[in-house]
Amino acid sequence: MTDLGALDYVLLGIQAVFAGPEAFSLLGLPIPITVAMVTIGLITGIIVGATPGLGGVIAMAISLPILISIFGFNSDALLPVLGFLIGVMKGSTVGGAVPAILFNTPGTPDAFMTTLDGYPMAKAGKARKALKIAHFSSVSGDTFSDMVLIVCAPFLAILVEAYLDLPEKTALIILSLSFIAAVVGGSPAKGLLSCGLGLLAVYIGTGEDFYPRLSFGTDALSDGIPITAAVIGVLVLGAIFVELEDLWHQKRTSGGIQIIKEVGDQRLHWADIRRILPFIGRSAVIGTAIGALPGIGSTLAATIGYATGKRRHDRRKAPDDPSFGNGAPEGIAATEAANSSVSGANLIPVLSLGIPGNTAAVFLILAAESIGGFNPGPSVFKFTTDLNPELVIVFGLFTAMIFANLLNWTIGGVFMRSLGVLARIPKQLLLPVVFLLTLASLYVQETDMSAVWFAFGFGVLGYFMRRFAISPLPFVIAFVLGSRLEDTARQAFSATGGDPFFLFKSPIAAIFILAAVAVIVLSLRKPEAKSA
Amino acid sequence: MTRLSANAVLGLACILFALVTAFLWIPFDTDTWLVERARGRYTLGDSLAPTLAAGFIFLAGLMLLREGQQTEDRPTYNNLQFIGAMIGMGVVSILLMRWAGPIAVNLFASGEEYRLLRDTAPWKYIGFVLGGGCMVFAMIAFVDERVTLRALIVAVLAVVGIILLYDVPFEDVLLPPNGDV
Repeated sequence: MTDLGALDYVLLGIQAVFAGPEAFSLLGLPIPITVAMVTIGLITGIIVGATPGLGGVIAMAISLPILISIFGFNSDALLPVLGFLIGVMKGSTVGGAVPAILFNTPGTPDAFMTTLDGYPMAKAGKARKALKIAHFSSVSGDTFSDMVLIVCAPFLAILVEAYLDLPEKTALIILSLSFIAAVVGGSPAKGLLSCGLGLLAVYIGTGEDFYPRLSFGTDALSDGIPITAAVIGVLVLGAIFVELEDLWHQKRTSGGIQIIKEVGDQRLHWADIRRILPFIGRSAVIGTAIGALPGIGSTLAATIGYATGKRRHDRRKAPDDPSFGNGAPEGIAATEAANSSVSGANLIPVLSLGIPGNTAAVFLILAAESIGGFNPGPSVFKFTTDLNPELVIVFGLFTAMIFANLLNWTIGGVFMRSLGVLARIPKQLLLPVVFLLTLASLYVQETDMSAVWFAFGFGVLGYFMRRFAISPLPFVIAFVLGSRLEDTARQAFSATGGDPFFLFKSPIAAIFILAAVAVIVLSLRKPEAKSA
Repeated sequence: MTRLSANAVLGLACILFALVTAFLWIPFDTDTWLVERARGRYTLGDSLAPTLAAGFIFLAGLMLLREGQQTEDRPTYNNLQFIGAMIGMGVVSILLMRWAGPIAVNLFASGEEYRLLRDTAPWKYIGFVLGGGCMVFAMIAFVDERVTLRALIVAVLAVVGIILLYDVPFEDVLLPPNGDV
């Protein structure tokens, strides 16, 4: 067998996608399974994104057990399943703009800023044009972000493997958790609380002793809390409770949906594109930079992208042009490019460090852990001369992402513009069905009623967290990283001969720990500065 | 008397919970201490990681007390009423899902054991249809604040749809509660 180089791995990744097992044949042309799954995922994502109350996370939670039932637990399942999830992730970002523009109801939280200019454009009879601008900007931002991911992730992973040993890796996980706790949700105290609860929950029923710790001696807790039950409970069921309650409070106060006739030219001309390109460019850079940091969501990217775009637009716009908030196409472009460019960059910490940066990344890690044979993290980027199957999977994923972008550029826009009808489904009918479907999907994966009880309980916890304005994201990320943090710390402690100061022995680990403390301390000072 | 802010109450609750966890729950419900010495080598005990987690919660409590009255985000009476109703409906529905099938077998298939019929229609659907249908119907009716035929139809369609999604195409997939009865 010949020795493998970097280019060989790239080619093997492309082959794994396009020359993989055949799903079906279309007009005599064999369609590989990964290609089919990315396409189905993208379409599903656009549909759920365009349906208010649903979103990519719910679609991923429901589809993961179905996919595992179909593909089983073997390494051949990895690319089709991960490809589907990536398709959902990309599709839901694009689809979220549909109800935001047409009905002033954002399909996803990220699309809220899109309503500010998208809905006024729709009211002015420019709905189709607004959707085209949203689609063009969203896919441009996403493509840019993926390019940054593909270029940066391998180098970052190689640097991590070269310079970070066990103590440094332990310190890096602590830094990531403190960063997420400090920046997510506005209040560092609540972020830290969310993180602490997530860590405490994952340590129940686990450990190295014969007796499963913190289990009160019960069977139900002795195997630990299933990760899927905790994640789905806090993220999905908690969100459904909140949505249902909002509907209960505001019960059908919005009235009927006004149908507005389209007027004037709806095409997207080169002059339009030239006008919005600077806004897309800036927002794509902002979104990618924000996305590369774990825990900072696309909502913040959209807000900063919009604010930056607004400043530029206010300075340069012609007197007749609408300003931001009054139907400016540049407003839609700035928002959509920023929130879409987060998704690719969010995978940089996942693939290079094994640290999930957002909820979609959590589901990618859950899928990889459930199926087995792929452990996202710096070790996957080992360009060994003997075949490293995990590296082939990574390049397969990159190929799937590029393919999903191509689909998004071509059929995504047409499909997205045909989905306006979904925004009319009453949420109070849809959400309870999604609630039951989520519990059934969880049971299918875990085959244990205790998982259903756990998920329900964590759903209630997720509800209360939201009502106390505590972000559930640090909880989920701490839950996912908690075991690894403990294992790495145990190994580092043993490797340093039981040195209690093992986190301060190497300069890099010490810098990470000091940075973790500094992030929390600095975030505490922020409110005082504001109030002063 | 000065009323405590929501943040202060949450902070105090965190501090109390963290102290109980660190000084009662962890020491009495874990086999090893923070650090253990085994065969002449020091290793991290099972208590260390949860104690650190409790430390985070304690620190968060202190920070919340310091933040004081910056926000008033807390559940209101209405919120508690809503989530109380949801918990009630959820618990009843999941219990129905778990026990309706075995009870029906006990009543109408004398001599048989539910475990042996858990992959046989109609027994295998009883729990999911009744429990799942009750969950969807009750949630819709509660949010709508009235019982409607539409809610019943949606509930029936939902359970039938999920059965068609999971049970019909996959032979080795079992709907709740049939996988672990």
